[in-house]
Amino acid sequence: MWRPIWAIIRRELRWTLRQRGRLISALVRPLLWLFTVGVGVQAMLQGAGVSQYRSFIVPGLLAMVLLFGAMLASLSMVYDKESGVMRMLIAAPFAHGWIVFARWMSAAVVGLIQAFMLSLVLATLGYLAHDVSLLLLLVGLVTTSMLCASIGVLIAVSSRALDNFAVVMNFVIFPVFFLSGALYPVNHLPAWLKLLAAVNPFSYGVDLLKHATLAHVRSPLGPDFSVARDLLVVSVASGAALLASVIRFSQDSVFEPLARWLSDGRAE
Amino acid sequence: MVGSARIGTGIPVAGPKAVERQMLEPWPEVGSGPFAVVAENLSKRYANIVAVDRINLRIPEGQIFGLIGPNGSGKTTTIHMLAGLMRPTGGVAKVAGYDVHKQPVAVRRNIGLVFQEPALDRNLTVQENLEFAGALHKMAPRLLNERISELLRLFGLENHRDVTVGKLSGGMRRALDVARGVLHRPRVLFLDEPTVGLDPTNRESLWQFLQRLRQEENITVLVTTHYLEEAKACDRVAFLKRGRVICQGTPGELVASLGSYVLEVEGAHPETIAKHLESCFGRGLTIGTKVLFAINDENFTLDQAARQLNRDVQATHLRRPNLQDVYWWLIHGYADKES
Repeated sequence: MWRPIWAIIRRELRWTLRQRGRLISALVRPLLWLFTVGVGVQAMLQGAGVSQYRSFIVPGLLAMVLLFGAMLASLSMVYDKESGVMRMLIAAPFAHGWIVFARWMSAAVVGLIQAFMLSLVLATLGYLAHDVSLLLLLVGLVTTSMLCASIGVLIAVSSRALDNFAVVMNFVIFPVFFLSGALYPVNHLPAWLKLLAAVNPFSYGVDLLKHATLAHVRSPLGPDFSVARDLLVVSVASGAALLASVIRFSQDSVFEPLARWLSDGRAE
Repeated sequence: MVGSARIGTGIPVAGPKAVERQMLEPWPEVGSGPFAVVAENLSKRYANIVAVDRINLRIPEGQIFGLIGPNGSGKTTTIHMLAGLMRPTGGVAKVAGYDVHKQPVAVRRNIGLVFQEPALDRNLTVQENLEFAGALHKMAPRLLNERISELLRLFGLENHRDVTVGKLSGGMRRALDVARGVLHRPRVLFLDEPTVGLDPTNRESLWQFLQRLRQEENITVLVTTHYLEEAKACDRVAFLKRGRVICQGTPGELVASLGSYVLEVEGAHPETIAKHLESCFGRGLTIGTKVLFAINDENFTLDQAARQLNRDVQATHLRRPNLQDVYWWLIHGYADKES
């Protein structure tokens, strides 16, 4: 089964690397946050005696790249329909659940590559300089990328109306990002926001990255949860979302209308 | 015969009873070779409609079999079930020896599938598309490359290896799509309306490709079409209407069973002409301004007809029947009666 999966990943990579503009904008977005919101908030907080806000949002921005990169890549499964690739995939000799699995994997890889590139930029700028646990950073990036990809495929196989990019952006990506502790510590939020952040699996991915880069930082800007808890939540959530996607896509009631659409969107 | 006239030997031309009789006739003898496709009472029902209604098919290996019918007659659904993409709600089918219900993956391993719209990535080159398709079929790279070269030669695409698919002409894209469908040497190739949108030259060359594939690889082809002039090239055809096979046979048999001649009478009031001539030539079939009569008398001449014609008639034409006539009789013959 590795050969088809590798082919699907390679196609996705080729596509990602060919679209330079998109790749660059994926890196510029977090840097923009770093130098606008990061600088602005830090200036504001310095009066209050806190001086590390820019370092604080670095793990959040890495997670942001994963969220946009991996989730959008897995959502692009929807666009495979139009490109004809989905026809090749459904005719291929393996169970249809593998299509979802391969798309999930390729999306996670795309997110990871973007995160690695951003890490290099951040390291060059001196933001990943001291007290960074490389192993934990790697584990955090890999698992969070998988999580974002699995949320993406779950949306892709669940909804019919997700051709609408703006809807996904406003109702999924932004809420997941803002309610995650990427921009502010979860522990000091009001109870209702804290609850939302606690049920958002992405929060734990962000927290894992905080453990990697902010372990030395004392509260209130340090990590909110334990590493074990982060790992557990992130892996269980991404496994569950992936499994649900595979099962859903394999159902006749979901798959057959897709096959019909691919064969003839107009008649029959 | 009163009410339900039956022309020739094979084709029922009027009334559902004649259809049932046709359905009950025993299978034609098709040699001793194994069947590549067998369907028995294959059905697909949705909540409120029956898309495919108890279809029976037997396609021997190496045959080119045509499934003919208007849009919505169930051709695509039939192909989907046979290709393991859709689960039948009734009946059984075996393709290349595998049960489509129980072994859909094994079925897909042994078939090629060409959809109405191309299954190609427009952003990749010809070579890259075939490499991708081959990898999906788990083909080893060296074997795959040999096969790609072979097929590009066969389909006349060897000079377009590195061209992006988006830049290919419609005919070339279709040829590439068929090459993609047979890349893994499937035993059965399903083609769903492969010639829609192609000009006559490209349609012709596509059929040549299919003939060559059959010759060189003994592949079995199941093709749906509504171009009747193409169906002639099939070894055997089945006509589908509202999810049912209403008749099948070789194109020659079907045409012969319609009669010796078709008499076309054209006029401003075809209904009046049809009524007037019914007593002499049987029930006519009105197509636009023409009325078609099937004549089952080998010695029939236009002179005989001339005596019956009146001033309403603008033109007459006596000719041999063709598959288009068979189609009209089958598809429109009942529609007239039912409506």
